[in-house]
Amino acid sequence: MLSGVKETKRDKAFLVCNYIYVFLAFAIVFYPLVYMISASISDPKFVGSGEMWLWPKGITFEGYKRVFENSNIWNGYANTILYTVVGTAINLVVTLPAAYALSRRDFVGRNFFMGMFMVTMFFGGGLVPTYLLVKQLGMINTMWAIVIPSAASIWNIIVSRTFFQSSIPKELQEAAQIDGCTNMRLFVKIILPLSMPIIAVMALFYGVGNWNSYFSALIYLNDSAKYPLQLVLRQILVLQEMAAQGGGAIDASTAAAMNSKAEIAALVKYAVIIVATVPVIVIYPFLQRYFVQGVMIGSVKG
Amino acid sequence: MNKIRKASSIALCLAVSVSLLAACGSKEGAGEKGSASPSAAEGVKKEGFPIVDKPITLKVMSQDAGKADWNQMPVLKEMEKLTGIHLEPQLSPIDSFATKKNLMFASGDLPDMLYAADLKPSEQVTYGTQGILLPLEKYIDEGYAPNIKKILDEHPDVRKSFTTPDGHMYALPFIDTAAVWYRSPMWYNGKFLKALNVTELPKTTDELYAFLKRVKEEDPNGNGKKDEIPLTSVKLDDLRMYFFGFWGMYDEKIYADKDGKVHYSPQEEGYKGYLTFMNKLWKEDLLDHETFSQTPDQKKAKGQDNRIALFNDYYPYFTLGGEPSGDNPLMTPVKSEIPGTPVYGKHPGMSANGTFAITNKNPNPEATMRWIDYLYGYEGSTLFNQGPEGTLWKYKDKENHVKEWLPVPGGGDREEYRGTITPNFGILTPGINDPEVTKGLRTDFDAWIDKENAEKLVPIGKTPFPNVYLTNEEQSEASALFSDLDTYVQQMEAKFVTGQVPLSDWDSYVAQLKKMGADRIVELYQGAYDRWNSGK
Repeated sequence: MLSGVKETKRDKAFLVCNYIYVFLAFAIVFYPLVYMISASISDPKFVGSGEMWLWPKGITFEGYKRVFENSNIWNGYANTILYTVVGTAINLVVTLPAAYALSRRDFVGRNFFMGMFMVTMFFGGGLVPTYLLVKQLGMINTMWAIVIPSAASIWNIIVSRTFFQSSIPKELQEAAQIDGCTNMRLFVKIILPLSMPIIAVMALFYGVGNWNSYFSALIYLNDSAKYPLQLVLRQILVLQEMAAQGGGAIDASTAAAMNSKAEIAALVKYAVIIVATVPVIVIYPFLQRYFVQGVMIGSVKG
Repeated sequence: MNKIRKASSIALCLAVSVSLLAACGSKEGAGEKGSASPSAAEGVKKEGFPIVDKPITLKVMSQDAGKADWNQMPVLKEMEKLTGIHLEPQLSPIDSFATKKNLMFASGDLPDMLYAADLKPSEQVTYGTQGILLPLEKYIDEGYAPNIKKILDEHPDVRKSFTTPDGHMYALPFIDTAAVWYRSPMWYNGKFLKALNVTELPKTTDELYAFLKRVKEEDPNGNGKKDEIPLTSVKLDDLRMYFFGFWGMYDEKIYADKDGKVHYSPQEEGYKGYLTFMNKLWKEDLLDHETFSQTPDQKKAKGQDNRIALFNDYYPYFTLGGEPSGDNPLMTPVKSEIPGTPVYGKHPGMSANGTFAITNKNPNPEATMRWIDYLYGYEGSTLFNQGPEGTLWKYKDKENHVKEWLPVPGGGDREEYRGTITPNFGILTPGINDPEVTKGLRTDFDAWIDKENAEKLVPIGKTPFPNVYLTNEEQSEASALFSDLDTYVQQMEAKFVTGQVPLSDWDSYVAQLKKMGADRIVELYQGAYDRWNSGK
């Protein structure tokens, strides 16, 4: 709009349409976010009846109060942070060297290894054999069952490999070697510093994945003190549904317990969702710069 | 230098293989260790406590209500002190227990026992015949479970219903011979009754219709708007069973009538009566038009706004809000054009699914049996349901088991606190409902509920269908037929009620059911019922 080139009518029409489209897209993405925030500080009665649809109604901070008082949620929070940090560190330590090695044309057996990697993208061991493996490695009910089996994602290795191949010139490696640099030093001192975008992208991919994962925790953990936040959250949300169905041969005290849980769940569920999502939303803008850059490089030239 | 390069190439290569290993869910063999060692019955006492001379540890799999750490629960500590058996809990959240349980059976990574196991009849048959679950009747009859034996002798139905076709008991039910409700019942909103000056509850479907019509038109909540919803429901699932009784059907799917003839409800004449009535309510806007779209939350919100006249819930105050009170009466089942109505599908007196089982990994089934048997007696039942004496209650008259409440430690809600001291909270656990346990602790509300039940439901009640076991082949045939039938019936119910399909299409609907194997279902269950019946 500000450029010196004179715009034709069709350009202007296009621009208007574009703005309308972008605004609609924004609204679609933004609405659930506002709804969540409003719902988290509204009286559950209004949320349930649909009277609260955009702005908060019957404002109450009871939900947040309950969340902050609930030791399960805090405990889950601490666990999630631990699993995410340790898990992401392991992910990076495994993914980056593997990707770099595979990007080197002088790596013996490169195609063979790549082929083997690809196989695991399409064939898995299945739930029960995987469970048995984890069990026999003695990792059941420990943090390692969460972070080790998902240490490498082939998809991410391929993205990183493509980055290394396309953005780090082969001449750099040759020059370093002529100066007597070893492979290890080359990787640590030269390649990694040049690969910040892909490291940031990988950290984000893996980090968000670890933050949101609950299935492995569900399967491998037996001790509720080790549950990550997402599992605690899921428990709160699903229980409410179950209480509402209410049927079956339950006795009075069970029904009363279910009902009181359902009422609490109605109160806290949006607050919990907000609390669980905020860290990711806060971190995202800082990494976003790398994010766009890194993925573009990976995909366009790959 | 070349050497160094080679070395680091190898290092990279290693890194690759490590990540390869990690990425690939290896098909590591299921190295199954041999099944349980021959039982070590020595050291296990048949009477008195502790049960075992030397303390033992048993792994127990169960559902977790998420209230407190089982290892810290006073009830379990007390139990350990008494029995000498230490429990090592393997818990999963209530909502994912089924997943975990299946995984456990499939992987062979078994605990020693399952508590609050929710074992379906088909699971008992499958895992029992595979030898994963131990037959329990042997230990019961050998004298390791005097309380359970007594109950089984007093109530032969229980034993009959939990004996699989191969003659073994693989699981124990929760037993509650005084139970009335199978599903949660229907309630009237007392405020509406008062506003409309209704002194006698409707007794026939016509009177019910007239009442709902009045609710619609006479503004019983007095806010000047016609926003009352005479009858609400979530997908009809909550009211179906109760309403079916008005047309002589005891259950949503399969029931046996008084002469022992098995029926499949969706093809009964009574079902047509039900559809016709619901369709009439729908047309006149007496049945909530959000029935098929609303969530339970939304239904509850309407209740708290005082807009509903007739609804389903476990207790009326769950939906309407407020404190427990006798103001909102239980719906009296109404009579329809079908002779012999109304009827009511009454609770069979025991849980449909098994609540307790012992696996073949258990090194000491005798001791385990005695442990669980304690819960089927008065003392164990009191301990597990009300907590240890002196925490939430104390004896007023120990001889006659009369108790009274103590103030809740730290103030707060009694039920919430109870959830932190015992595992028996929010889950269906093994044991009995012994009226002795709550002697002196019952509220006026409890007594009122009993009175309502005794007046309105018990006289017309009959258990719809006993717990029968199908053989594995029958089970898979029935499951296959049901999976098609259920979807079709559910769709057609909504279409008939909302008038998308006119009731004149009833005959072609029944013909379609028959084509889909409805008669075969009846045949299968009739066979199982006759087997059960002859097992007397």
